[in-house]
This record gives sequence, structure tokens and C-alpha cells, in this order.
Amino acid sequence: MRHALILAIVLSTPVWSALPLAAENVDLSTVPARDTVQLTIYNSEDLTLVRETRQVSFKKGQNPLQFSWANTLIDPTSVELRFASHADELDVLDTTFPHDKPQMLYWNVQSELDGEATVEITYFTSGITWSADYLCIANREETEMGFEGFVRVYNNSGEEYENAQVRLVVGTINLVEKIAQLAQIPPQQVQALPEDRLRQLRRDSAMHFFGDESRDGVPADAKKEKEIIKEGLSEYFIYTIEGTETIANGWSKRMRSFEGQTVPFTIQYRYRPAEYGDQLVRMYLLTNNEESKLGTTPLPDGVVRVFRDNGRDGLSYLTAQSIKYVPIGDKIELNLGPDREVIFELIKLRVWRDNIWVKLNGQDVFRRVDNGNLEIDERSSVAGWDDHVLYSQRIRNYTAKPIDVEIRRSFPGHVIFRSRLEPVLFDYQTVQYSATVPAGQTADLLQEVVQRQGRNARQNNVTLEEARVDQ
Amino acid sequence: MRRLVAILCLVTAGHVIPATPAQARIKLITLPVRQRVEIQLDNPHATLVEEERIVPLVKGINQVDFSWANTQIDPNTIVFRVLGRGDQQPADGQPDDEKDEPAPFEVNVLSVSYPPNEAALVWQVSAGDSGSARVRISYLLGNLTKSFNYRAVAAQDESTLTLSQYMRLQNLANESFGSTGLWAGFGKNFLKPIGINETKEMLAARHQNVPIKKTYTCNPQAYGYLDQPQNKLRVPMHYVLKNNKANQLGEAPLEYGKVRIFQQDGRGSTAFIGEDWGKFTPLDDEMQLYLGVAQDIVVKRTIETNEVHRVAGNLNNREVVIKYEIENFKDKPVTLDVAESLRHIRNEVHGDTGRDVEWQLGGKTTFQGGADKEKSTYDQVVFHADLPARDASGKAAKIVHKLHVTIKNEW
Repeated sequence: MRHALILAIVLSTPVWSALPLAAENVDLSTVPARDTVQLTIYNSEDLTLVRETRQVSFKKGQNPLQFSWANTLIDPTSVELRFASHADELDVLDTTFPHDKPQMLYWNVQSELDGEATVEITYFTSGITWSADYLCIANREETEMGFEGFVRVYNNSGEEYENAQVRLVVGTINLVEKIAQLAQIPPQQVQALPEDRLRQLRRDSAMHFFGDESRDGVPADAKKEKEIIKEGLSEYFIYTIEGTETIANGWSKRMRSFEGQTVPFTIQYRYRPAEYGDQLVRMYLLTNNEESKLGTTPLPDGVVRVFRDNGRDGLSYLTAQSIKYVPIGDKIELNLGPDREVIFELIKLRVWRDNIWVKLNGQDVFRRVDNGNLEIDERSSVAGWDDHVLYSQRIRNYTAKPIDVEIRRSFPGHVIFRSRLEPVLFDYQTVQYSATVPAGQTADLLQEVVQRQGRNARQNNVTLEEARVDQ
Repeated sequence: MRRLVAILCLVTAGHVIPATPAQARIKLITLPVRQRVEIQLDNPHATLVEEERIVPLVKGINQVDFSWANTQIDPNTIVFRVLGRGDQQPADGQPDDEKDEPAPFEVNVLSVSYPPNEAALVWQVSAGDSGSARVRISYLLGNLTKSFNYRAVAAQDESTLTLSQYMRLQNLANESFGSTGLWAGFGKNFLKPIGINETKEMLAARHQNVPIKKTYTCNPQAYGYLDQPQNKLRVPMHYVLKNNKANQLGEAPLEYGKVRIFQQDGRGSTAFIGEDWGKFTPLDDEMQLYLGVAQDIVVKRTIETNEVHRVAGNLNNREVVIKYEIENFKDKPVTLDVAESLRHIRNEVHGDTGRDVEWQLGGKTTFQGGADKEKSTYDQVVFHADLPARDASGKAAKIVHKLHVTIKNEW
């Protein structure tokens, strides 16, 4: 066990040499132990708010208090002292940062009290972080999965916090916005603030959000997993780990934050080159809501590891995927990669051109020529035409189940998309359509793509046309 | 000296485990051995190891250490599951109604701690009662890889072959496994021991009497010329086997791997005739195995006609006739596959415009039966030419075929 943080009541020190009878080089101090400590850890920034309390005996008059934090990652400007008891009898007269001792400060406390008081020290430290991760195990039939969420707390702060109440802040803290709110200045002027002012505002911001609440650590039932209490606060979620935790410096600890035993999901095959590359991928789709036996909390950013019961008293490893923050009610989409039993091919069946126009002798005069009724002299050149390509999107399903396939394909330029596939436009240049392919069957999804070229191109978008497309 | 690399320890310190992980590093340990190991090789990119151990637990909180050295266990993938009591067999084949209802055994994993600078983790496990628990630990292990290779033995008449598929497991994971279940995601399950740095090859499947087609193909775009000044095309030979049930295959996709090809010599032995990389072959697709270049089939390709017909301005159509003069110097008849890329033809006679080729077959095409509909696409046509064997005097007949293509709307 190692402590780098020390609070000492200094009985004699050079700093206090101005006081009557102060010694120059001989120190004597008492060291009050830490009573409680609370860690509020953000996952969006390397920032932890530490709040600790200690019992300190004061005598009437001036009491020097020394606080040092050698070899830790504490922001010295964030250290603050508050009196949790006898506040009306105690006052900090000044704070001194000695020039020769960089990780130390002195508080000069004026006391009307002759006795013990509880002091609360708060500060920011870096080096304590947390992350979330998830474990999914799908059943053999791939209809339901066990979905477990975990939080893992890492302590590389240089300090050991024993029996600390741990609170984890879920959500991206946009400190600049909060600074802007607190400072009541337009956000665009925030960047111009001096660094020390920014730091002060950041500290005030976090204190404002998370500083006033306190919760005593509850002893946990040792036989059960600790409950992780999730509460919404403003735009954020706070996970409070039941009871207290001790995480030694350099260690990390992982605890289950929630569990969904039978979370239903569906399977969809998707072709979305912009998202998943030029391949058809298999997806597990589920929703973070109550119907899915989830939805008690947003899911913080983290890695999802997906396994499946392989039906042979074992697991198959499917994938590991990072997900972004999933709000309550939002979808969770897990990409399992291509399926070797589903073959996806785009086959070009035919190509032709029509609606061909030539520009006459370099003048701004155009004639349509592809109907064969016009003689145009050799110096004229093609200036506009339509390229037609007939495709079959062939999907061969060798799995034992019917599959749902969704295809998105983008076409730059002026395009007409003809089919009977009931497509929709995902955006102005992206066509989306779906199909179900029965088990063991092949689907040929016919489509004609007309690309208007040269002077024929009047738009930069796709138009959908329902039309019979024959091979 | 070999060491057991992955170690599971049960740490006991009286009945109470210190709350501080740092204190718990001074410990008394028991070492539960592996009861069962399964290696799942069904993921193309990762190997999953699952091991079962029986862990004695005391009532209260137990600390279970899992440590490894010099292996590439991904600690983030470790899954710890309690299956039940240690004396409970998970799959004993006993009918359900004859089984005694096991007493409930409450075991909870409270947390996992990761010590600094150690390849280890510590599970804090609570037990409602003293007794042993069967636990399963699953993790991804690096450097334990699989590959596939094949041995194909063709009949002397080259009409069928026997295809043997081998799975090769290479264990560079610095960990040995006793009798271990191995599964590739298809085919049978193996139960084998695997030593450190050991490579084990297992017969995954053997397919007898697989019909094959021996093909002779010329395709100037894909295979080029044997002698370009004389317009002589290269004619590679392939064995082609189709991965479907009708051809004694079709149980699973054929994995990528080296195929060593032998041919029965008619005297009870086989001759090695070459090897090729077999591509990953989905169901119903064909695997082509390259055998080398045929020396006895000569194909001369010349562009006989290249006529431009102006439509208007610089827009034109083009008539192209390609002539093939083919001689078969073999003493048996063969069928030659003639493949042509339409884009390649257009680029030869007109230059590369980057546009797709609009084309249609012309009336001067002489290949009987027209293009092979199954093998042809809009970008490439395939025709078949039947070639008789050379005659008794050794003279090969010169077979002439023509491909007539109209390339339309180019400029």
C-alpha cells in the first residue's frame, strides 16, 4: 500500500517563519488519515474528481496545513479545501505554493475552534480512467443472446485510493460548452480565455454538476455481485458502484454493470460499401430498450465481443466490434463480417447506348443521331449519350434459413434506376432495396441503370423508375 | 524445458480474501488441472480455446488466478463461465428422467482484477457453499493457426479424381494441449494432443470419384501469347471440379489451400503432375487447378477484319472478325475453350476509351452452338471448339473458326 498524498498539520516549518517563535529548519507535523474518498471518473476525458475527507484537530488561532502529492498526476490548481463541520469557526486565510517544493501547498487556517473538525479536500487527477465493454453470447438458433455489460476501472494515477466510492460518468462532457454557460459568454469567445481562467471554469463546471451530491458507501453483500446504480443527471449518466472499491495503483478492475439474459435480435445481411466495405456482411440487430430486456441505461462507448453457442457444447467466436454510445431506445448493430454460405455477385448482363447527340461542327448546335435518319458530317462529335447497363444482383443462399438482404448502392452523376425491386432513395445518389432469399435458393434481382452522360446529364442525382426489366 | 504456460490457481487465505488485490499476491494456491479442452477453428481469423477445470471453492469469497506467460492470450477476450458442480458431467448421455436433480450451487463472479505488468488476472468468485465447481474458460489464442491442403489423385483416364482435404494445425502458441477437441467449423471433430511447436495434419475429408473436366483454354487477355510474333496463343490446361453434390462434393465451401495433383499411372502407382493453389470455392462454384501449358495444341489468332462504319460525326460502329487456326497434335480428340474479353478486343482495334463495350455477335461467327451461356458474361464470351485427334500419319487437321463481333457506338 502506498500513499503519495499527505495532509499534515505543520507545527513548525520555514514557511511559517514569520510567525512568532517559528523555527527555521526543524519541522514537526501530525498526519491525519483519510476517512472517506470518492472518485468521479469521466470516460470522455482523462479527468477524475477526487473528494476526500479527513479529521483534523485545530487550535485557536492560525493553523498551517500542508498538503502534498509527490509523484501523482494531480492538477495543483484544482486543489480546494472546504470545512464539512464547524465551517463558521474555520476560515482559510491564504494558500501558499512554495517555490522549492512543486507538489505541495500550505493552507493557513484561521480557527475559532479548539477541537476536531472534518475537512473535505477536492482536486482533479488524471491517470484514473474507465471503459465499458460488452459480452454477447447468441444461442444456437440465433434468436436470442445473453448481453452483459462491464465497466473496467484503471488506476495509473500514482496514488492508491482505498475503500473509495467510485462513480463513473457516462457521456461526453463538452467542457467548453459548460464553461461557456458558466462564464455566460458566447462559446466562440471561450478559446480566447486565458489558460488559468479556462482551468478554473472547467473545475467550477465539474463541481457544479457533480460536486454537491454525496452518497455514503454502502457495505455490499459479499456473496453477491455489487450492484451498479445508474442514474441520469442532466445530459449524463452516472454509474455508482455499490459500496466501496480499492484499486491499487497500476491495477485495473472489471465489474459487471448489467446483464440481459434473453435479449432478442434479428439477422440482416447488408451491402453498404461506405460502411462495411465492398462485401455483403451479416449483422445482428438489437435495440437498447425494455422490450429487448435492455434499456435501463445508455451504453457507453466500448468493445462488444460476440460469441455463439456452436451447438456442440462450445462457443464460436464471431467478432469484436467497437460501438459508439448507444442511447436508450437506439439500435445496436453488430457486424459479423461476410458469411461464407451466402454468395453475393453483381452480374453485368447487357450494355447499350442510346439518345446519342452530336455537336455540329463545333457550333452550339446539337442533333440526335442514334435513330439513323440523319447524315452528319465528320467534323461533328458526340456530345451527349445515355449508357444503359442491365445488372443482375445475384444472391445465393446456402444457409438453412431464409435471409433478409438490404442493399445500398451509390451512383454518381445523373442516373435513372429502373427495376421492380421497390427501391427507395437513401440519399440523392444512393438506392436502397431489400429482398428475402429462401433457404437454399438463388435470387436474381434485375435492375437497369441509365447513366446520362455529356450534355444529357442535367442533374447529379438518381431517379427511381418502376419498370419491368428483362434480360 | 517445457512449462505449463496457462495456469489457473485457486488462492486461499483462510476463509477471507484480502480486499486489496495487492495484498493478495502473497498466496497459497491450488492448481486445478484441465478436464477438457476444445479448440474452435471455425473463425477464419481467430482461434478460440475453451478449457474446463474443476475448481474447489470455499463458502464465501474465493480468488481465482489465471496467468499465462509467453503466449498470446488476448486478456480482453477471456470469458469465465461456471457450468455447475464439479461432479456434474455436462454431457453424460443419461436420459433426463434418470438424472438426479443437482443441488443448486450459487456461484457468482464478483469482479476481475488485472495486476500491473503481469500476464494474469484474478477473478473474485463467491460461493454459497463449499464444493467444487466446473468452470469453462474461453479465450482467443494467437499463433495457433490452421491451414488446408489437398491431395488430388486423378484416374488414369482423367475423368475423375479422389480429393483428400487435410487440415494442418500449427502450434506456435507456446502452450501444449493434451487430448483436445478440434473443430474447423465443418466436417468431423478431432480429438488429438498438440505439443508445443508441433504441426499436426489431419484428414478432414476424402471425396472419391469426383468427376473432373480437363480443359484446354485460350484467352489472350488472361493467358496471353506463347509466341506473339507468330500470333500463337498460350493454351493452359486445368482440371475443373464443381463443388456440388452431383459431383460428390458440395458439403461445405472448399477452403483455400495448396493442391498437389497426382495421376494414376496404370501400374498401381501414381505420378506427380503438378500443384496449384486452390482458391476458396463456395458451393456450386468451380475450382480450377492449373496443370501447365499444352504443347500439343496450337492456336493462331489473327484479326482478319477491322472495318469502321461511321454513324454520324465521330460516332461509329465497327465490324471485327477474329480468325483462329487450331491444330491438335494429340492422339485423342479434345475440346478447346476459346475465351475472348470484349473490352480487350475493343482496346486492340480502337484503343481504350474506358467505356463499357456495346456489342453483338455477327453472322460470320462459326463456333457451333454459339457462346456457352453458363460460362459467358457480357464482358467475356466463351466458345467451344471440338478438335479431332491427329490422323494415323501424325498429321493434325487445321480447324478454322471465326468470331465476328459488331462493336457499336464508339468514338
